Amino acid sequence: MLASVPSATLHGVDGRPVAVEVHVSGGLPGFTVVGLPDAAVRESRDRVRAAVLSSALTWPKHRVTVNLAPSGRRKGGSGLDLPIAIGVLVADGSVSERDVEDTAFIGELGLDGSLRPVPGIVPMVAALTCRRVVVPVECAVEARLVGGHEVRGAAGLGQLVSALRGQGPWADTAARTTDATELPPSPDLADVRGQPVGRRALEVAAAGGHHLLLVGPPGSGKTMLATRLPGLLPPLGRDDALEVTRIHSAAGVSLAGGALAQRPPFRAPHHGATEVSLVGGGTAWLRPGEISLAHCGVLFLDELGEFPAVALDMLRQPLEEGVVRIRRARRAIDLPARFLLVGAMNPCPCGEGSVPGACRCTEAARARYARRLSAPLLDRFDLALGLGRPDVDDLLGGPPGEASAVVAERVRFARLVAATRGVRCNAEIAPQLLDELCPLSPEGAALLERRLRSGALSARGFHRIRRVARTLADLDDVGPVIGERQVAEAIHLRDARGAQAHEVPS
Amino acid sequence: MRGLGHLADDERFAAAIAALGAGPARMRRFIDGYEMQGAWEALARGRHGADPDGRYKSKATPALLESVGERCARAGIGVRILGRPGYPAALASDPEAPGVLFTLGNPTFIDASPRVAIVGTRSATPYGLGVASELGRGLSGAGVVVVSGLARGIDSAGHAGVLAAIGGAPPVAVIGTALDAPSRPAEQQLQRAVADTGVVLSERAPGSAGAPVWLFAVRSRVIAALAHVVVVVECHRKGGSLNTVKCASDRAVTVAAVPGSVRSSASMGCNALLVDGAVPVRDVQDVIAAVELAIAGQSGIVPPRRPARVTPEGGLRCPVPNPISARILETLDHDPANLDTIVRRCALPLADVAVALEQLAAAGLASGAGGWWSRPGR
Repeated sequence: MLASVPSATLHGVDGRPVAVEVHVSGGLPGFTVVGLPDAAVRESRDRVRAAVLSSALTWPKHRVTVNLAPSGRRKGGSGLDLPIAIGVLVADGSVSERDVEDTAFIGELGLDGSLRPVPGIVPMVAALTCRRVVVPVECAVEARLVGGHEVRGAAGLGQLVSALRGQGPWADTAARTTDATELPPSPDLADVRGQPVGRRALEVAAAGGHHLLLVGPPGSGKTMLATRLPGLLPPLGRDDALEVTRIHSAAGVSLAGGALAQRPPFRAPHHGATEVSLVGGGTAWLRPGEISLAHCGVLFLDELGEFPAVALDMLRQPLEEGVVRIRRARRAIDLPARFLLVGAMNPCPCGEGSVPGACRCTEAARARYARRLSAPLLDRFDLALGLGRPDVDDLLGGPPGEASAVVAERVRFARLVAATRGVRCNAEIAPQLLDELCPLSPEGAALLERRLRSGALSARGFHRIRRVARTLADLDDVGPVIGERQVAEAIHLRDARGAQAHEVPS
Repeated sequence: MRGLGHLADDERFAAAIAALGAGPARMRRFIDGYEMQGAWEALARGRHGADPDGRYKSKATPALLESVGERCARAGIGVRILGRPGYPAALASDPEAPGVLFTLGNPTFIDASPRVAIVGTRSATPYGLGVASELGRGLSGAGVVVVSGLARGIDSAGHAGVLAAIGGAPPVAVIGTALDAPSRPAEQQLQRAVADTGVVLSERAPGSAGAPVWLFAVRSRVIAALAHVVVVVECHRKGGSLNTVKCASDRAVTVAAVPGSVRSSASMGCNALLVDGAVPVRDVQDVIAAVELAIAGQSGIVPPRRPARVTPEGGLRCPVPNPISARILETLDHDPANLDTIVRRCALPLADVAVALEQLAAAGLASGAGGWWSRPGR
């Protein structure tokens, strides 16, 4: 009296196949689960037994042993409830082995026998190799995104068993298809009045994939600008969309429309975020963090200075490599994390420090605030922009700005040009290729040389300015050689620093 | 008789008494009418007339005496005692003069020179920093000693100007912390430069950690007492510089102020002072006139030299490079504007503005920091 039911658990953003082996034999009635289950799986014993009994099915009056193979690896999540229940029923003879042949089960059970959705359906289904997969009916749409399986949705254990026996209908909802839902409109750049420099910086950030730092007093429109960045990015390609969907599914974050991700994601964690919530990790399940959820999209860190310094410095490696390598004593995973970072901060704690002479913060408070951001992190920003409060005339009666669609078209063109160089975007141009890919006109070179000689520009800043100038040249469509205009503009789009800029006496 | 290191015995005892950390008034009572050694021993026994409860008895240990002496020797700090030779006479006559003064550098030049204090806010605008630096340079060049506090902002800018003047009068800095207290690298550098050419004064004993807030307030009285004229360059409505102004008016020292924009928060204090009758300062000439008035009738002070008046828009300016730059230059004034404002004012693409600003900066017609742009100072 042995049964083996295929299922899967979640490990980071990947599914791992698990075989649920159930053995029912003589002896005192009992129920044990072995194979390194975590707390949620151990608790499934009680759920499964109650669910089977409330579904008018019989629970074996024998000793039941469940093994989760491979038994050396830790397993988490409540998705194993359903395969355990089915395994017990098959081993006990309530359901014939033929009815569940080549079928995998994923789902959480309620005490009344109902099936509940679980996070991570997309990667878990992708990890399965069998013909048929049964998932909670709410997850069926997500499970079908993977393709290659016959996906069946089930609403409750009793109904599922009769459907498996061929005695009743499946609870599938054919009405919910992938493209039936309309996405809500994303915020449009036309709503931003004035802010000519901020708009331009946003366009450049989108076109070249340049990380953007916005420094300005409260009410200067930092958040407003940042939320409009995803709308300027090109829609996700098929591969990126699948990857994004997988990550969001693994994190249990619902996607708009419950279907394949189409738009670049926008994540804006609060500054109280812990290190683990930002980069990912945690206990058995190794949940993807905010930086992975922002993969292929925008990570917006508002009030950058208020984030824990340790958490911010953890962003440095993912910013370089596009993946975050999480290492724990017993496990190691690499999560994708290629995101466009937008940071927003006040110039000083009182917020007025960018207007020369208006700051009322104490020296110590300003120094403390400036120390929050490590220089290596600040250095990662290709664009650093000081914003002022918008002009009153613009706010009240100014003409609406260019719409997102118009700007997005220019961005798309610039990205196409960048793609001909073999990089995804200009921010990824390697330093050794800069001379070849970003040749400067004599005037442009002279301008940079003057800045370098005056000590106002570091070697790293020099590289970053050339990449931004490359993007500007692509946007302006001026050909392979970067001119003085682009160099000057790139310099000025990276000019802002915090309040400390005004400290130095002339 | 020379004792430990380079200090004389009574200087050593005076330094140790100062290291007890008493307020300025009590400090005066500790040493008034005493020999230094006698005062120290009375304090150590808890029998000093100014310390009847023996509150300083536990602090006055031989270890303190030794460590203060060592610190002075190591950092080359001098000790001046009120009423003894070597103490600046300009300060000695003040009713609230510090009982003991620690010095880095030689203060002997102070008494015979005309002296102007340059004070102002720490969070200064480029306008204020520029004016302070210009006044510092001009005054020093005219043979006027500039007294200031070495704080960030106006104070530092004033002294930076003094140090830029070639062959000018030496600077005097009065600081609230101990002379060997750790400070930011920029401050340290400036302090060393001032000590090399002029003198840095403090009434806090070497080795005292930090400084209570009141010490910065009482330091202002030393600045005011040393100066013939106090010039406030930029000051917020309730800025700390007003404390120096109060000390100055208590001592009938002339107060002068640099006017600023009525919209600039950093000039509110100055403009209010002008309304209350402070001497308006447009340039070095105005300050020197006030100094001449203040030292009239005093003997033994070398009067300042009057420099030739320079035209406001000096003669050696580069011509404006091109029409676009000219248009952008028109939108700039001495109040800094951010890039957004400039782009909006002249309605040109960012690239044009950026190129023009670079050209203007190269020609010395515009100056910018952190994305804020203005016309440079005169």
